[in-house]
Amino acid sequence: MSVPVTPLSVLVSRCEDERSRIRKEFESGIGAKKTLRALCELADRSLQQVFKDVLKLHDSGPNGLSLLALGGYGRRMLFPYSDLDILFLFANDKVEEEFRPVISEFSRTMWDLGFRVSSAGRTVDESKRIEEDNAEFHLALLDRRFLDGDQELFDKLDQRILPPSERQARPFLFSQLHRLTKERLSRYGNTIFHLEPNVKEAPGGLRDYQAAYWLRQILGDRKDLRGSSAAEEQLAADAVEFLSSIRCFLHYSNGRNDNALTYELQAEAAEKSLGLSDGVGRSAAEWMRIYFRHARTLNRQLLRYLDQQMAAPMTLKERFFSAARNVTKTEPVVSGDFAVRSGQIEILNQQALSDRTVMYSLFAEASRTGTPLSPQAERSISYIMTHSELPVLNQAIPWETFKDILAGDFPGVALRPMHRLGLLMEILPEFRAIDSLVVRDFYHRYTVDEHSLRTIEHLQELANPADERGGAFAPLWKTLDRRDLLIFALLLHDTGKGMPVENHVTGSLESLDTAAERLGLSAEEESEVRFLIEHHLDMSATVQRRDIFDPSIVSGFAENVGTLERLQRLTLLTYADIHAVNPEALTPWKAEMLWQLFVATSNHFSRTLDRNRLHASDEKSVLDQVRTLVSGANTGDIERFLEGFPRRYLAVHSAAEIARHFAMYQKLSSSTLQTELTPERHGFSLTLLTADRPALFSTISGVLAAWGMNIIKADAFANAAGVVLDTFHFFDLHRTLELNPSEKDRFVKSLHDVLQDKAALEPLLQSRDAASRTRPPKVAVQTRLNFDDSASAHSTLLEVIVQDRPGLLYDMGSALARLACNIEVALIDTEGQKAIDVFYLTSQGKKLTAQKQDLLREVLQGTLG
Amino acid sequence: MMKVEAIIQPSRFESVKDALREAGIEGMTVTEIRGHGRQKGHTEVYRGREYTVDLLPKIKLELVLPDKLVNVVVDTILKTAKTGKIGDGKIFLTRVDEAIRIRNEERGESAL
Repeated sequence: MSVPVTPLSVLVSRCEDERSRIRKEFESGIGAKKTLRALCELADRSLQQVFKDVLKLHDSGPNGLSLLALGGYGRRMLFPYSDLDILFLFANDKVEEEFRPVISEFSRTMWDLGFRVSSAGRTVDESKRIEEDNAEFHLALLDRRFLDGDQELFDKLDQRILPPSERQARPFLFSQLHRLTKERLSRYGNTIFHLEPNVKEAPGGLRDYQAAYWLRQILGDRKDLRGSSAAEEQLAADAVEFLSSIRCFLHYSNGRNDNALTYELQAEAAEKSLGLSDGVGRSAAEWMRIYFRHARTLNRQLLRYLDQQMAAPMTLKERFFSAARNVTKTEPVVSGDFAVRSGQIEILNQQALSDRTVMYSLFAEASRTGTPLSPQAERSISYIMTHSELPVLNQAIPWETFKDILAGDFPGVALRPMHRLGLLMEILPEFRAIDSLVVRDFYHRYTVDEHSLRTIEHLQELANPADERGGAFAPLWKTLDRRDLLIFALLLHDTGKGMPVENHVTGSLESLDTAAERLGLSAEEESEVRFLIEHHLDMSATVQRRDIFDPSIVSGFAENVGTLERLQRLTLLTYADIHAVNPEALTPWKAEMLWQLFVATSNHFSRTLDRNRLHASDEKSVLDQVRTLVSGANTGDIERFLEGFPRRYLAVHSAAEIARHFAMYQKLSSSTLQTELTPERHGFSLTLLTADRPALFSTISGVLAAWGMNIIKADAFANAAGVVLDTFHFFDLHRTLELNPSEKDRFVKSLHDVLQDKAALEPLLQSRDAASRTRPPKVAVQTRLNFDDSASAHSTLLEVIVQDRPGLLYDMGSALARLACNIEVALIDTEGQKAIDVFYLTSQGKKLTAQKQDLLREVLQGTLG
Repeated sequence: MMKVEAIIQPSRFESVKDALREAGIEGMTVTEIRGHGRQKGHTEVYRGREYTVDLLPKIKLELVLPDKLVNVVVDTILKTAKTGKIGDGKIFLTRVDEAIRIRNEERGESAL
C-alpha cells in the first residue's frame, strides 16, 4: 500500500505530549470542566486521525459506517483513565462484514495510543430493537454523539429511527434504570456518608448525576414533573465540577481508573484546596464536609427523579377500575395540614408550615407510624428552611414535642429527613459538631452523623429483625419504656467527636448539658441520658475485655448499671452502636457475647433483689431531696419510710416520686390505705401504700382484673416496718377509665371498698370471668416454675413464666395466699402474651421448705394449667 | 518456619496482642470462634427461655514465624493468656514448608 499515513510513533508521542499538557493545566487549577473537554477533544482528534488512516490503509471510504461516542464520552465528560465508549454503526450486515478488518485495526491502534476502547457494533436494524438484557447499552445510547464516518447514516439513526423506539421504550428504560440505580445505592448502604467514598459509584457520586440526567431525558415531557429551579441547577453544576475535579485528581494520583477517595488523598486534596477557587488549605475534615455538601446535592437530585412514577400504558378495563378507585378512595387526613397518600405524608396546607408546631407534628406522625414524607413534602419544608427571611412561628420546640418524635416506633423515619433538611440541627445545634464529620478510623465506614442516625435505624429495624443478630434483642426494643431517652442519648453520644476534647465522651456530655437545659429535661431524664452517654462504651468493653462468664465480673457490671431498665437501654445502645460501625461489625459472635452479658446481668438483678436493702441513714442525698420537696417533712420520718426497701426502689423511682410516696405515707395515720391513679402513655399506673396484710397483692390484682384492666408491669416492695408500696402499670382494655372520667372515682372507690372489707371481690370477678376466658391465646406459652433458695438470705425466689391472661396475677396471688406464702418482693412483667413474674416468698418469716415448694408447685400448676 | 495457633479467652485477647506487639510481633490473623474443650458450656434461663451455651466464645490467633521467634511468641502467649482457670485455651504448633508473598512472589522467611 502506497498511501501515506501518520506513523504510529508520531501519534503516540503527540498523544503523550497532549496528555501531559492537559494534566499540567489541571494541576495549575484550570478546572475540571475544561480538563474533561480537553481530554475529550484529544480523544476525538486521535480517533478521527486513526480512522482516516486506517480507511486509507484499507483503501476504503466511510460509506455505511458511523462512529458514535456513547455514555460519558458522548456527553464530553471523559476522565483521564476512563474507557472510551464507542459504537460502530453499520448500514447493514454486509457492510459490517466488509469493515471487520478496519474495525479490528482501528481498535488496536487506539489501544496503542493509550485509549481504553470499549466498543460495540450494531447495524441500523439491530439498533431499533430493545435488548431487554442490556439496558446499560440503551442508556449509554441516550448520550450518542457523532464522531466520524457516514454522517447521513448517523442522522438517520439519530433523527428517524431511535426517537420513536426510545419513546416506546421509556417505561422499560425507566424501570431498568430505577433497578440498576437502586441496586447500586444499596451496595453502598444507601448513604453518601462514607469515610472513604467512591466518587463515581457511591451515592452522591458522579453516577448519581449521570443517572439523574438519564431519568430527566426518559421522563422528558411529563407535565407533572416538577423541574429544578435555577438555584438548584447551579448547585448541581457546582457539585459536578467539584466531584469531577476530585475524579481527575484521583485518576492522575493513582495512574488508573480508581475512584476511591482514600484518607491519604483526602489530606492531599484538602491541602491543595482541590475544587475550590479560594486556594486556602484546609483540614481534611473541613474539605470533606464540602465534599458531602456537594454529594448531598447530587444524591437529592437523583432521588427526586427516582421517586417519579412512570405511567404504564393501561388497558381499557384497567383505566375503568383505576378511575373507579380514584372516585371512591378517601385519603386519610392526619391533620388539617397534612394527609397520608400512597403511603407517604403529603402537605395539604403549605402556609401552615411556617408554624413549626405543624412541622413537628408531621415528623411525630412519621415517627409514630413509620410513614415517610413524600419528596414534595420534603421539598416544601426545605424551601421554608432555606429561606430565613420567611416568618417562623413557635420555633422553640418543647421537650414534650421532641419526646414524641423520639419515642415513636420509627424514630429514624423522622430523624433522617429532619437532619437532611437542617431541622434536626436547628432543634439540636449540638449535632452540628458531627455534621458530615469524617473521623479516621480503621473500623468506621460512615461519617459520625450518619453513624448516629444508623444506630437509631438499627433499633427501629428490631420491630422485624432481618437476621439472627437482632432476633434476641427484638423483645428488648419492643418492651422498652421511655425510648425517647435512649434515642436522645444516641443522637448525642458521639457529638464529642466533633469537639476539641481529648475524650469524645466528655464533649458529648457537654452537649447534653446545653441541650438538656435548653430543651427542659427533668433532672431524672438528664441523669438517665447522662448515664447512657457516659457509659456507652462500657458494655462493649466488658464483652471484649472481661470474662463475662465470671459471676464477679457480672456482679460488678450490674452494680455499675444499677437497674434492669437501664441495662435494657444500655444493651440496646451497645447493640446499635456496634451495628452502625459498618455492616459487618456486629458479627453473630459479638451479638451473642453481648446477649450473654445482658442475660447474666439481668438474672443477677432479679436474683439479688432481696439481698440489697436500704439503710436510709446512708442515703443523705435522697433524704435531702425528699425533705426539700415535702414541706414540713423531718428526716426521721423519711428514714423510717425508706428503711428496708430493696435498693431497686431508689433506682426505679425519681426523687419527686419518692417524695409523693412519702407524702402518701404521712397520711397513713389518718387513712390506712393511700392510692394514686395516674394516666400514662399507654394506660395507667396505680400506686398503693398500706400496712402489709395477707393476700394484699392478689386482692389488688383481683380488683384490677374485675375492672378489665390488664396488668403489664408491677412491683411490690415492703419496708422494715411492714408498709407495702405496690405499683401496677396496666392497660385499660375497654378504655373504661379513658372514656368515662367519672369511672376513675368509682374504680378507686371499688378498690378501697374491697381492700377495707366493705365489698366482696368475688361478685365483681364473676361478672368479668365469662367474657375474659373465651379467647384462645395467639401464642402458646409453656408454664415454667422455678424455685431458688440461694438467691436471698431469707426468702425463696419463685420465677413463673406463663401464658398471660386477664386475672392471672389474681389467680397466682390467691394461690400463694391460700398456702400462707407472704410476698416480700414481687416483680411482674409481660412480653407479648407471656407473663414473667418473680416473687420473693416467705412463710412464717422463713424460706419455703422443700415440701411447701412441692405443694405450691402442684397448686400453681393446677391453677395456671 | 512454624505456624502458631492459639485458642484463647476473648477477655485476654487485648493483653496478648499488646504483649506480642511489645515482643516485636506485628502480624497475626485473628478469628472469632466458638468451641469447647474440657470447659463445658452451661445453660442460662432468661424469661423462660433456655439458652444453652455449649460452645463458648473464644479467639483464635494464627501466626507464621521464623523458627527463632517461636519460643518468644509461645512464652508471651502463655504468660498473658493464662488465668489458671479451665477454659484458658490451647496453643498448637505446626511446621510450615513454604510462605509466598502474593504481591511480589517473594518466598521463604523473607515473605513473612
